[in-house]
Amino acid sequence: MTRKILIIDDDDDIREATQLCLEIVGNWEIVTANSGKTGLVVAISQQPALILLDVMMPDMDGLETLKQLQVNAVTKDIPVMFLTAKAHPAEQRQFTQLKVSGVITKPYDPFELSNRIAKVLA
Amino acid sequence: MNNEQLNFKQPQHPQRIANDKADSLEMLLHRMINRIRQSLELSVILSGTTAEVRSFLRTDRVKIYQFKPDGSGEVVAESRCDDQINHHLPSLLGQHFPEEDIPPQIRELYLKDRHRTIVNVAANQIGISTLTDEHEGEYIQFRTVDPCHAEYLTAMGVQSSLVVPIIDEDNLWGLLVSHHHCPRIVTARELEVVQLVADQTSIAIAQSNLLESARVQAKQEASINLVGQSLHSMTPMQLQQALQQTVVALQGSGGRVYIAPPNSDSEAQLYVSGEQPILLPRKKKASIPLEEHPNWQTWLKQAIESDSVIQPWAIGYASSKSIVELALNLLPSQLERAFKPTNIKSILTIRLEHRQKILGYLSIFRQGVDIETIWAKRPDRDDPRNQFPRQSFETWRELQQNKARQWEKREIELAQILGSHFAIAIFQYQLYQQIRTLNASLEQRVEERTTELQQTNQQLVQEISDRLKTRDSLERLSHQNELILNSAGEGIYGLNLEGITTFVNPAAAEMLGYQINELENQPMHEMVNHSTAEGVVYAWQDNPIYQTIQTGEIHHVTNEVFWHQDKSNFPVEYVSTPIKEKEQIVGAVVIFKDITERQIMDRMKDEFISVVSHELRTPLTSIRSAIGVLSSSGLDPTSSKSQRLLEIALDNSNRLVRLINDILDLERIKSGRVTMVKGSYGATEVMIDAVEIMQGIADKAQIQLAIQPLSVQVRIDRDRIIQTLTNIINNAIKFSSPHTSVEIAAQLISNDIVRFQVRDRGRGIPQKNLETIFDRFQQVDASDSRDQGGTGLGLAICRSIVQQHGGQIWVESTLDQGSTFYFTLPIGYQVDTRKEQSHD
Repeated sequence: MTRKILIIDDDDDIREATQLCLEIVGNWEIVTANSGKTGLVVAISQQPALILLDVMMPDMDGLETLKQLQVNAVTKDIPVMFLTAKAHPAEQRQFTQLKVSGVITKPYDPFELSNRIAKVLA
Repeated sequence: MNNEQLNFKQPQHPQRIANDKADSLEMLLHRMINRIRQSLELSVILSGTTAEVRSFLRTDRVKIYQFKPDGSGEVVAESRCDDQINHHLPSLLGQHFPEEDIPPQIRELYLKDRHRTIVNVAANQIGISTLTDEHEGEYIQFRTVDPCHAEYLTAMGVQSSLVVPIIDEDNLWGLLVSHHHCPRIVTARELEVVQLVADQTSIAIAQSNLLESARVQAKQEASINLVGQSLHSMTPMQLQQALQQTVVALQGSGGRVYIAPPNSDSEAQLYVSGEQPILLPRKKKASIPLEEHPNWQTWLKQAIESDSVIQPWAIGYASSKSIVELALNLLPSQLERAFKPTNIKSILTIRLEHRQKILGYLSIFRQGVDIETIWAKRPDRDDPRNQFPRQSFETWRELQQNKARQWEKREIELAQILGSHFAIAIFQYQLYQQIRTLNASLEQRVEERTTELQQTNQQLVQEISDRLKTRDSLERLSHQNELILNSAGEGIYGLNLEGITTFVNPAAAEMLGYQINELENQPMHEMVNHSTAEGVVYAWQDNPIYQTIQTGEIHHVTNEVFWHQDKSNFPVEYVSTPIKEKEQIVGAVVIFKDITERQIMDRMKDEFISVVSHELRTPLTSIRSAIGVLSSSGLDPTSSKSQRLLEIALDNSNRLVRLINDILDLERIKSGRVTMVKGSYGATEVMIDAVEIMQGIADKAQIQLAIQPLSVQVRIDRDRIIQTLTNIINNAIKFSSPHTSVEIAAQLISNDIVRFQVRDRGRGIPQKNLETIFDRFQQVDASDSRDQGGTGLGLAICRSIVQQHGGQIWVESTLDQGSTFYFTLPIGYQVDTRKEQSHD
């Protein structure tokens, strides 16, 4: 079972910090993408075990990216966890109806994030 | 006894004498009748008669003696022998003779038996002839004369007397008497002639009486007419005049008319003329008219009762003792005192009555008169010698002073007639007054009623005016209400208990897309398709407005939906309030507004919060992750990963600080809480300052910064404009390729506006972003910007600063060729001395 995680986030620092954290805490193999478009390409090419997907991104946002992932046979079964800075309950509600493995609210505890990923992948 | 014996003259030639006598008799009669015809005056006739008789009889004295009502008598006509030498008998003319001289029994014989007497004192013989004798011609019976009679005649100096009664109708009027100083025979013929003369005298007396009566009647009628005329129009003045005329007509010295008050409201009226009794007021009481004095009234009452037939009261009294006593009996002392100081000696009072109504009293007063009587002898009833024949005819003058004048019958009758005229006049006057009073009271009532009506009218006018005012104010109020309703931005409509619209304001109609009249009298609930927030159409009974109408509850509702006439809908907020009239709910008023705009604003605010939250969480995420790992993983802090995490944490901390600063800054500038501290600065100098700040970054990015100077002073907040310029220059540097230049320039585009521009040769901005680039967190590429340390608020802050200076900011760009940012500033020389700072 691969331990490769794809992080798609347009914020450079978040990508890097999250990557470092997951590498250190969970010993995961991390690949990153700075946009939805890039993320799709990486997901297809790298076949990560799980994708951490930022919701708010320019051009193609997280929801659109998720849709694209789910319509692609290669990526449709990859569990996706949303990373979102939208903390309002009304905002969170929309995610529950989507087929995602989890929603992680920014800022997050790197250990908890790791635990959540581990649970999904277990 | 024969005719010869009667002859007292011896005839010289009897036949001739007889013829002469016959001639003279006829002549005598003829003259007598002529005299009576020629004169209507009795005194003339009587004196003529005596003269003719004396010339016929040739005696010393012929007189006519008239009886008075009391039986006494007076010589009223006389003829004596005018021969001074032969004046044998004295004149008796005007002398009075007491009643006892010719006692009643003698007078009775004169009247009933028509005795004529011929006395011959010397012969001690009296001849008596009665006219009622059945004997033809004159028949004289002789007998011895009564010695008293003979003595009486002798005392008078008379030896021969002839007495013939003068009868007026059935009364003994008087006597025709012939006296002679010596014995004389009276023949039957002579008696016959004298009788004829006496008869003629009777006729003359009757005629004279008739004439006198006619005269009195004429005078009375004249008085009545005069008084009647005065009374005719019956003004007080003429009543006074009528009273005066009445006083004159009745030969009074004064008079008065007392008119009793016709009713309790009025007062008595008193008219006086001439002399009046003086009724002193009783102890401390107001003086009252005589007629109202209780004693007077009692006296009158007694007078009426004592002789109820006689309506007027004629009371005579005088100061002479006997009559005063009578007067005292009749007049109570108090009233008598009223008359005492006056000359009034007799009163005639007529009660004025008309139609059984006593209207008042007419009183006439008369003064006393002095009566002088010449008596043929001194009457002395106490003298015993009066039992004997009269011895002396020495005349005696009696003077009765201030004697009451008796009211004669005709005077009383006149007074009665005048009284009735007064009564009628007063009655009519009172009637007239009554009518006038009635008219006056009618007029007064009409006037009062008119006044009342006028007052009512005024009240009515006032009321109408008040009502008009009320109506006006109601109209004003209504108009104001209408204006308020019309002006209100909120939609307002009223419903009755059935939910039918009773009124709608224009705002409501406009919001719903209808004309007002299309909504009135319609069920509003159906017209607006009132729906819940979720868009479900309400059943009317479930509608909160229905609840208001039913229960009176006030409902504040937000986010429900009304439908427009064009089938679109909009969110509404409304308040439904019950309309109550006397505690009864009669409907509801609904005030609503379209909250579409507000919802948009709310959404924008939510979005902004969401964005801010996102932007804040983003650097925090990196910091949290880095610190979380570093603090708990046991990672070697000196490892490169640790170092990198620390760097990320630090960078993002700074980023977070910048972000928070920018958010606060932007909000403060936008809200105007940061005032622009303006001063006069040269445009070139400001550009240089900004370039100097950015020079390090530019050098690092290998970008050349070039300035195109402009010598102009601008009123600006220097720091804020430098902030703006550096922000724009920073962006330009960020998105420019190395070895390119960024040009900073300023240019006057009008007299008072300077335009700054920053031009780069970078990759340019997509067209769709040109409008939004100045909005918050609207970077073209966030990753890029964050990579460059931007917060996404820089341009928004720039726009706020420029706008606070009254300028505009925009960008022109061509992809892959570069962008030019412009902003304008007014030179702004309306010097603000307070904040003027010169930095040149």
